[in-house]
Amino acid sequence: MLSKVPLPQQFDRLIVTGGIVTSVFVILILTILLILKFVGFISYTEVFFWLISSGMIIGALASVFLKNIVHAVFSLLAPLLGIVAIYLFLGSEFLALAQLLIYGGGVVILLLFALMMTDVQDNPVVIDGSQKPVGFIIAVLIGFVLLYSIFTADIEIATPSSLSLADLGSNIFTQFLIPFLLLGILLDIALTGALLNGKKHKNLQSSDSDE
Amino acid sequence: MIPLENFLILSSILFCIGFYGVLSRKNAILILISVELMLAAVGINFVAFSSFYDTERYSGHIFALFVVAIAAAEVGLALGIIIRLFRERKTINIDEANELKW
Amino acid sequence: MMNNYFLILPEISLLLTGMLILFLDAFSKELGVGRKIFPMLAIIGSLLSALLSFLLIGNNETLFDIYKVDDLTAYFRILLSLILCFLVIGSHEYNDKKITHIGEYYFLLLTATVGGIVMVAGVELITMYVGLELLSFSLYVASSSLINDKQSGEASLKYVLIGGVGSAILLFGLSMIYGSAQSTFYNDIAINFLNGDFFNLEFLLVGLIFLIAGLGFKLSAVPFHMWAPDVYQGAPTPVTAFLSTSSKAAVIGLLFRLLGGPLLGVIEYWQPLIILLSVLTMIIGNLIAIQQKNIKRMLAYSSVGQIGYLLMAFVGLSSYTLSAALFHLSGYLATNLLIFIAIIIFYTKNKENSLINDFKGLANNQPFLALIISAGLFSLAGMPLLAGFFTKFILFQAIVQNGFLWIVVIAVTMSTISLYYYLQIIKQMYLFEDNDNNCVSKWNLTPSQYIASSLLFLLVIFIGIYGTPFYSFAEQSIMVLF
Repeated sequence: MLSKVPLPQQFDRLIVTGGIVTSVFVILILTILLILKFVGFISYTEVFFWLISSGMIIGALASVFLKNIVHAVFSLLAPLLGIVAIYLFLGSEFLALAQLLIYGGGVVILLLFALMMTDVQDNPVVIDGSQKPVGFIIAVLIGFVLLYSIFTADIEIATPSSLSLADLGSNIFTQFLIPFLLLGILLDIALTGALLNGKKHKNLQSSDSDE
Repeated sequence: MIPLENFLILSSILFCIGFYGVLSRKNAILILISVELMLAAVGINFVAFSSFYDTERYSGHIFALFVVAIAAAEVGLALGIIIRLFRERKTINIDEANELKW
Repeated sequence: MMNNYFLILPEISLLLTGMLILFLDAFSKELGVGRKIFPMLAIIGSLLSALLSFLLIGNNETLFDIYKVDDLTAYFRILLSLILCFLVIGSHEYNDKKITHIGEYYFLLLTATVGGIVMVAGVELITMYVGLELLSFSLYVASSSLINDKQSGEASLKYVLIGGVGSAILLFGLSMIYGSAQSTFYNDIAINFLNGDFFNLEFLLVGLIFLIAGLGFKLSAVPFHMWAPDVYQGAPTPVTAFLSTSSKAAVIGLLFRLLGGPLLGVIEYWQPLIILLSVLTMIIGNLIAIQQKNIKRMLAYSSVGQIGYLLMAFVGLSSYTLSAALFHLSGYLATNLLIFIAIIIFYTKNKENSLINDFKGLANNQPFLALIISAGLFSLAGMPLLAGFFTKFILFQAIVQNGFLWIVVIAVTMSTISLYYYLQIIKQMYLFEDNDNNCVSKWNLTPSQYIASSLLFLLVIFIGIYGTPFYSFAEQSIMVLF
């Protein structure tokens, strides 16, 4: 059925299947949450929170479990964009915007570029390591420890307060000036490293091979 | 209003999923994705603690901003090295890169 | 609030030198500068930084509440700048021969040193973390700087990925500690933990576990050491030297600041973790080192073992153990740097297989090098009259006084075992003839190589015989914590 949809060869299955799967999940979760809402358990804010966080977790699980590397990279979009909404819940508009621009616009595109430059077209299916069960056990153990500590901790009741952009800016440029300047140098180093390694060094390869 | 616990539980779950990814994957790009998931979880933690508790200085927000910048730089750097490795030996699976005993 | 910017002049001088090197490298054709100028600039910058930090001893000021310039900072500034200086003097011929992008390479070494200093000087979690990443990023790139070597790229990839995981774990720990203490400033954290009114114990415990695991990745302490041998083997040898000296020293300095300052109030929660880490690191690091054939891998495991001895100092935490640890750290750094510089000098002339067999018959061909390598190895194993013995003796004595005799017994046993694999190299150098002729028979060291190696050699002997000035400086530096 999907082969009849008029889309470019590379993307048809990916987009259509992904869209169908996502919308099925979203509709399912949304229905459950709306039922809970109308029964009176939760408010609209909580409906949105649960919707977004379940979407993030499903996307994270998909990007860790999926066999196809392109699908895994696309599923990473769900948690990375979900964080934007989480930051908005926590009242930090600027951070949400930065996250949207850097991750949604930058990192995922960068990852896709890297996929294009490696052998992904020929064999997009990856084989995972044999240490999978061990990893699963360790991750579940860590998860139990973390969740246990959160559930047993007596957390003070507080209300989140939103941070104004002016406060954030004046804080960064006065008190946190030193780390901010060092961050610039760090980006310079990352740029140097990416250039040094990503560039082709053809002429050097021939001259040094006789050593 | 959503309590702090919910954010912490979400971030813990994301962190563990990312950690599982790091342990189970062999492909370098997929390991990088898992590290990004872990860093995303850290960001949620910082911002949640910051806006619930640290309402004078908001260090957590600033920390999250720094983490975002550093994580993006790390992705760029790691992808550069991955591309170099692919050019050298046509694979980016870390266990097939066996010049050094892993 | 007036800030005295003169206090960060050493870092500024290092960074400006780095920027100048990068600039000259980019416009080298237009300006007509050769490759020889870059190591020169790096040496000048690091010497200037060491000199300025020497002049700034005795200050006790905090810039912006986040950057503390006191004697501990000064100690690490001098240590890290001098390591860089000796390393560049000793290895610039090697770099000139093997590394194509020399300008970037020296820039990275300078920024890594700045990162290390910032880690020690920062008294706030964000600053500390940015310093840590500055150091790590510089070393990720520097270890990939052998462009035509497959091993170098692979080592760098492993380092980036595992370093990224380590950073993520460290950050999670920091976020939990932030949630518990509700501040990122060391002063406020210390006050909150000491008062104990409203910190969250569960978050603190989780945070400490993750924090120590993350720092364990950076230190290559034992459950988290698996990256170290691969990266040490694949990276260019001067970068390996930097990894096993400066980067370790910086993380230890960070531990001084963090465990001796804000986390001192909750010592009963992190002490078991450090004991576990320290014992595992000593035992496993030294035992695996025995079976290594590759000299860089062997030194990697040996430096893992040495980290175990240093971590012991945090087990019984007092000003006495910490100053002993700081003293031992400087002795260890001088010794390790001496060995690495000798190896770099050796591989400048010879083909680099990095095998222990390469050193066959070195005593005949190059007696001076053989002498300094054996002196360094004996010092690492803790032989009398050399730095390793005296500093280790003081460290062990301090820990015994704090009531941890059993851990010192393990340390002494492991120290004896380590003598076995150090003797393997010495045996190759002195007892075997170079039958395969894989070693260039006779050659002369260049003046700069002589300067670096003999100065460090003298330093190692000097610390071993008369280490009191160094010890009193270490004591004075540690006093600022208590």
